[in-house]
Amino acid sequence: MKNKKMIISMILVLVLTIGLFAGCGKEDEATNESTTDVSDTTSEEVETTDTKETTTDSNQTTLKWAVWDIASTTYYQPLIDVYEAKNPDVKIEMVDLGSQDYMTVLGTQLSGSDTDLDIVTIKDIPGYVNLVAKNVLEPVNTSDIDLSGYGGITDQIKVDDTLYALPFRSDFWVIFYNKTVFDNAGVSYPTNDMTFEEYDALAREISDDTLGSEVYGSHYHVWRSAVQLFGILDGQHSIVDGNYDFLKPYYDMVVAQQEDMIAQDYATLKTSNLHYSGAFAQGNIGMMNMGSWFIPTLIEKIQTGEYTEISEGGNGNWGLVKYPHAQGVEPGSTLATITSLSVTAASKNKEIATDFMQFVCGAEGAEVVAATGTFPAIKTDAVVDMIASKEGFPSDEASAEALRTSNTYLEMPIHQKSAEIEVILNDGHDYIMTGTMTVDEGINYMNEEVGKILN
Amino acid sequence: MKKTQLRIRRETRNNLVAYSFIAPNLIGFCIFTLGPILFAFALAFMSWDGNNPIEFVGLDNFLALKEDTRFKAAFINTIVYAVTTVPLTLGAALGLAIILNQKVKGRDIFRTIGFFPYVASLVAVAAVWNMIFSPGAGVVNVLLTHLGVARENLPKWAADPDWAMFTVVLFSVWKSMGYYMVIYLAGLQGIPSDLYEAGSIDGANALQKFWYITVPQLRPTTFFVVIMLTINCFKVYDLIYMITQGGPGTSTLVLVYHIYQTAFVTGSNYGYASAISMVLFLMVLLVTVIQFKGERKYANS
Repeated sequence: MKNKKMIISMILVLVLTIGLFAGCGKEDEATNESTTDVSDTTSEEVETTDTKETTTDSNQTTLKWAVWDIASTTYYQPLIDVYEAKNPDVKIEMVDLGSQDYMTVLGTQLSGSDTDLDIVTIKDIPGYVNLVAKNVLEPVNTSDIDLSGYGGITDQIKVDDTLYALPFRSDFWVIFYNKTVFDNAGVSYPTNDMTFEEYDALAREISDDTLGSEVYGSHYHVWRSAVQLFGILDGQHSIVDGNYDFLKPYYDMVVAQQEDMIAQDYATLKTSNLHYSGAFAQGNIGMMNMGSWFIPTLIEKIQTGEYTEISEGGNGNWGLVKYPHAQGVEPGSTLATITSLSVTAASKNKEIATDFMQFVCGAEGAEVVAATGTFPAIKTDAVVDMIASKEGFPSDEASAEALRTSNTYLEMPIHQKSAEIEVILNDGHDYIMTGTMTVDEGINYMNEEVGKILN
Repeated sequence: MKKTQLRIRRETRNNLVAYSFIAPNLIGFCIFTLGPILFAFALAFMSWDGNNPIEFVGLDNFLALKEDTRFKAAFINTIVYAVTTVPLTLGAALGLAIILNQKVKGRDIFRTIGFFPYVASLVAVAAVWNMIFSPGAGVVNVLLTHLGVARENLPKWAADPDWAMFTVVLFSVWKSMGYYMVIYLAGLQGIPSDLYEAGSIDGANALQKFWYITVPQLRPTTFFVVIMLTINCFKVYDLIYMITQGGPGTSTLVLVYHIYQTAFVTGSNYGYASAISMVLFLMVLLVTVIQFKGERKYANS
């Protein structure tokens, strides 16, 4: 009798313990499921389940591709469709890690080499450098790939002479302007050949600080790159230099614009979390510097009738011009932001994954990407024409011309400490733009703190 | 002889039953809490990025703290945050509890309102808070303008390094006071009413009754609240992330936020991040020990 009780209690322990582990297992499964749920739009959900079934009974290989924002990105699915049509025995499954902390999540996912991701999208350079240092990315065998189409960008992302990623998107920064604002002020549109002085004067000319109906001549999104990277366009300075004195004229200009209410207050923008697209769509901003990734969004939102303040009868009232340039610097110099693909070191299907990467980043992939209005990394004249002739793209010649860049510099060059440097530069930008520090104090702060990191 | 054997066996049996009830919790604790904590202790003396082999670096991580401007700022900010949040929340919660312990009209409604911020989703509430305290068109600043504050003197709240910490503290007090109010209400209701009656007979006024009856009787509650509040303050991360992201600059950067950034954002520096969390651990330990010692002294007197 008593023995029985004891046996029962022992069984209870066992059951509870097993239950505990089973509980963990289930939770894992549940999280996995929820990630795929988020990653797949409803239409693809059915397809995904199909994939899983077919994988088990045929020789199909399923590759997992880490991406962000599946729902709002137009080129993922077309790329997959074209590739799968060519390779019927391969299925590509997307895993959405979300855009907010994408590189952080990716870094954690790839730790410990037990990941099931085969191909990963690389969002920014500091994150890329971290992943390379972690040894979780497979080096790209450059001997059988023609790198000439990438315009030298592949050389800029080599780490210790080895390439770990191939770029498939390459965006560059331009000035978006609102034609209505210029028309109302009776000022002629900006041009593709503006010095910073001319740009500043233009912004001041079209501004209006009447309470309630303010018009802002310029707009700087809260990213540090929106201001700091004006400084590297002369090709003589780099953002990982350790000396930031060259930023002074640009900060002086932007801070003065902010004080004179030519540009919206940084502090307000920051706390309200106002997205640059929302700001521009309000129709009271004359000029805004932003990456070319904004072009497809702008076209789409105007066509769907969302951005009524900057369109008339379905036609956009906006245009593009090249970035302003410092005295003596060639116009058309701008910043490049690249998005690349890498094969993971832990992938069990490296060959197929490499093939997919080369397809997406190669000429064929470039056409698919360009067809959606997005700039591929291989930027031939045909590609540029394709985008400039897309329906909804501004019809004036200057806008088409603005797509032709001369020198492009990476927003963040490869540097072992780029992630740490970036944190300091963000702090410095915060201090200067909120008025906590004067421009000189802020620059000193950056010089000092980045100096500590570099030593 | 046989009897004692039997007793031992019964004890063992009883123990086994007890252990079987503890087991799920204990095993979970070991795997998900104790294990990682011990690992973090060890990591504090290592250099590791999550994938490459772990390397022993001795005290290097701790020595590096001395040069780390962001760590120093986070350290000071954490203390400032705790030192201001704890008494303010305590006072607000106690005040609310005392008022809502009286027979006021609509007491239940006010209790619900007081508790509501604690129940509401942090993400949603923080977004609304940011709108209300927006430097440009926020309700608070509009009100201040109407009260005659000049436009250039308006605080920029979360975007102003001098005001950001205050904004965060204010939010925290408002968000958590309801929870501690409920604990205080329970404590107030546990005070026997004959104490107050005796006080009245002795001619004590309301203030004296509060000071000589309510406050001492609430001491165990206050002790609990202070401990929980302090530990929660040292752990603060979520509301900083929602309101300021540690900015402007480093003005609201707290230790946990810095640990997260060091470990996951600025280059997978797990060893160094563990070293910072050891500092946080020691801080919490120190505060807790002091508080327990203090409590024992109070209880004896």
